[in-house]
Amino acid sequence: MGKSATTSDVHALFHSLRSAYAATANHLKIIDLYIVFAIVTAVIQVAYMAIVGSFPFNSFLSGVLSCVGTAVLAVSLRIQVNKDNKEFKDLPPERAFADFVLCNLVLHLVIMNFLG
Amino acid sequence: MAAPKFAFLLLNLISILPLLVSSFSVDRPTDRRILVLLDDLSLKSSHSLFFSSLKSRGFDLDFKLADDPAIAVKRYGQYMYDGLILLSPSTERFGGSLDVEGVLDFVDSGHDLIVAADANASDLIRNIAAECGVDFDEDPSAVVVDHSSYAVSETEGDHTLIAADDFIQSDVILGNKKIEAPVLFKGIGHSLNPANSMVLKALSASPSSYSTNPSSKLSSQPPSLYGTAISLVSVVQARNAARIMISGSLDMFSNRLFRAGVQKSGSLNKYEKSGNEQFITELSKWIFHERGHLKAVNLRHNKVGESEEPSMYRINDDLEFSVEIFEWSGSSWVPHVSKDVQVQFYMMSPYVLKTLSTNGKGLYHTSFKVPDVYGVFQFKVEYQKLGYTSLSLSKQIPVRPFKHNEYERFITTAFPYYGASFSMMAGFFIFSGVYLYNK
Repeated sequence: MGKSATTSDVHALFHSLRSAYAATANHLKIIDLYIVFAIVTAVIQVAYMAIVGSFPFNSFLSGVLSCVGTAVLAVSLRIQVNKDNKEFKDLPPERAFADFVLCNLVLHLVIMNFLG
Repeated sequence: MAAPKFAFLLLNLISILPLLVSSFSVDRPTDRRILVLLDDLSLKSSHSLFFSSLKSRGFDLDFKLADDPAIAVKRYGQYMYDGLILLSPSTERFGGSLDVEGVLDFVDSGHDLIVAADANASDLIRNIAAECGVDFDEDPSAVVVDHSSYAVSETEGDHTLIAADDFIQSDVILGNKKIEAPVLFKGIGHSLNPANSMVLKALSASPSSYSTNPSSKLSSQPPSLYGTAISLVSVVQARNAARIMISGSLDMFSNRLFRAGVQKSGSLNKYEKSGNEQFITELSKWIFHERGHLKAVNLRHNKVGESEEPSMYRINDDLEFSVEIFEWSGSSWVPHVSKDVQVQFYMMSPYVLKTLSTNGKGLYHTSFKVPDVYGVFQFKVEYQKLGYTSLSLSKQIPVRPFKHNEYERFITTAFPYYGASFSMMAGFFIFSGVYLYNK
């Protein structure tokens, strides 16, 4: 009785999440896809380091930081661009995107330097 | 007219100065001045063949009675002699300022010693020998007796005169001519501590010999010294290259036994002349450093392709190492040829151990790669061969790891990280395009 209740609860939860997510705007979904891509690449690198060892450590850090930094910048873009967010109501989305581009430039400069 | 004459005289006087420096020195290891202490001045004539052979090889012998009060080996802190021969077995105390400590200090400072004991050896001689690693039989009346290896003789029938031919196998110590005739020996035997690695048996007794008092009945207990454990003549080479010879028989050095014919019991060979003269002469050549003295010079190392010695190496460098080893021939330094000199590249344990190859002229060289470990290493050459002075050389050199710009430009193991970073850049461009042009 309890088990079928929990499994049906899980199913119901999944369904509600999926339908709620489907309701988000398209441009936000594009940003989410980009974030997932970045995180997956980071996880692959960490798994590789666990197998092969941490030489050269600076390259590993640079690779992981590029993925994580990209993800962080994309997240902050998503926050600023989301119309449902009361905090950034007055911020034009173009301004948010321009900040995003500049920060990415700086990030990639640092990454290329530290990559060795 | 007087001035040039005076200058000529002065020049002559100056040319005598090198003669004053003719003593033992590192460049000429053969000893020069030897003090001979005798019990009895008649030994000078009864052992004259031995002394004249030494004199003919250029040694200055200074004969003194063992209790002569004027004996002094040291004056103002400097040793006046390079070698000491003690042919005074029954002396209880030396005259002058010499005692057991004095003799041991003499040896400890690198000088050579020949000690001959006898059936009536005093405690002094026994103590000196014990300090050198040789233990004479504790029974003061015991001599070496051998009933199957004695010298056949018309006069002596108690088998105390033995014919020994169990020599140490070493061309350096005994010369390269084989000693054909046995050596006649009459005296006391000694044993060596097996844990002592510096003392060697130059002449061993045969397995049928034993140490006992020939005039008393054999006790029920077996003798404490017997068989090949008895050494008749032993040599010691100390770590500072001092050489000591300890013989249990003074008669072995005498003219009578030098000239005597010898026939070993049980053997049909009759030799006109015993092996004593050859044995003693060759052994004394070794003792007084006319043979078997090595020196190593010019320990050099450098990177392959360079000629200067660097102050530091890097890991995985290729380097060359060379050393020159010479042997004293009695009158000059000749190249020492050997196939088994090795060098170690050592830090707590040898990371590299290589046998050096030689060019026949005394130069030993090899090349190897510095190991993949950094730290402070030493080039170590430890060469210890029977009969030769030991060489113990070391030179310290630090080894550093790679500098950050000495790695390969693109490291293969880091390719996934390079790929990830570039893919992030590409992703950024594609994302911006897609985001901006998305309706």
